[in-house]
Amino acid sequence: MDSLTAARMTAIDETELVHRAKNGERNAFSELVCIHAQGVRNVIYRMCGDAQIAEDAAQETFIQAWLHLSSYRPQTSLRNWLYRIAFNAATDMLRKEQRILPNALEDLQLSDPLPGPEAVFSQEERTTLVKKAILSLPDACRAVLVLREYEEMSYHEIAEALDIPLGTVMSRLNYARKLLKERLGRKLLIQMEVDHV
Amino acid sequence: MSNHVTEWLNAYFDGELTGKRLHQVEDHLAECEACQAELDSLQGLSELLQEVPVPEFTAAERFAAQVNLRIPHKRVVISRKRIFEVGWWMIPVGLLALWIFIGTAFALGDILAAAGNLGLLSGISEWLGSGPANAIYLSTTIGQMGLLSGNGLNWAEAAETFTRISLPQFILQVSIAVLYLCWIAIWWARHTHQGHGQLLEG
Repeated sequence: MDSLTAARMTAIDETELVHRAKNGERNAFSELVCIHAQGVRNVIYRMCGDAQIAEDAAQETFIQAWLHLSSYRPQTSLRNWLYRIAFNAATDMLRKEQRILPNALEDLQLSDPLPGPEAVFSQEERTTLVKKAILSLPDACRAVLVLREYEEMSYHEIAEALDIPLGTVMSRLNYARKLLKERLGRKLLIQMEVDHV
Repeated sequence: MSNHVTEWLNAYFDGELTGKRLHQVEDHLAECEACQAELDSLQGLSELLQEVPVPEFTAAERFAAQVNLRIPHKRVVISRKRIFEVGWWMIPVGLLALWIFIGTAFALGDILAAAGNLGLLSGISEWLGSGPANAIYLSTTIGQMGLLSGNGLNWAEAAETFTRISLPQFILQVSIAVLYLCWIAIWWARHTHQGHGQLLEG
């Protein structure tokens, strides 16, 4: 069975599960949760940078999905629909937590992340810096960046998931990458290229 | 600088460009070192972003079980939703019924008044009691005081009759029509919103 056929089979299965879940079958909904749990938690984690918040917001996402399942139209992507709820849940959760995240934004000084030209970052330090830089982006830009870079969604899919025009997807993505390059600094990018060589 | 393709580099990097624009960017990149360097930096940034790992979450089955414990019973949701939907569709029906009732009431009033004027309802008019017949009309008072006479008094009486009888009826019917249009606008907005892929009231 080729990958295209497998994808079609999965879509058919998912449509059937959605139909059953709409009729109140909790088991069918649980199967949908199993299918999308990882993706939803990943996306929320990329948005908030905290595993516990990601777990809680993901649960909230699926509860909201269950409550509003009747408004979901099978012609659209369930994953995109769930991601939109997930972003709302993540934003609400961040607001509740007053954006004070452990090991995240406090003591963040990204304007000059490099102490000197000779500085060399360990893998862990670099990861921390990148994570902090992502978290420092405006919510709207971060959402677009996460969907593109980590979920590898097309611009059209992002536009559908976030319910924004295609032009807005492009401008937010451009802005997010521009900010990241500024904040991470060229040296970090160059160092990375050197590491790869 | 104006020939640079910087604004299209992100879309090119993401494989979103097609046709003429794609060729334009490709041709430019073959000649321009600055744009090529910019493209390389996008590649470097993307690789850097991929270095950030995601933590190990609880197993999907266990997570689904946790969600299952928290989700409310569907029937409650359905019945509430159904009540809301029925209520929602009753709004235009109610407005239509109100409009018919008001229209009928005014028409009946006119018929009764006409019949009364013709003397057909002499017995009933007493039962109906006083009302418009005994109402004190300002134009009549003004006429009696001699402030207006002739055409002026006729105009005043016509204006007062319009203000007392036709205007309220007109305002009522326009209000009902406006409410109905508002309902259609809200229905359209909801329908369009759902068409975009929905969500989320919550």
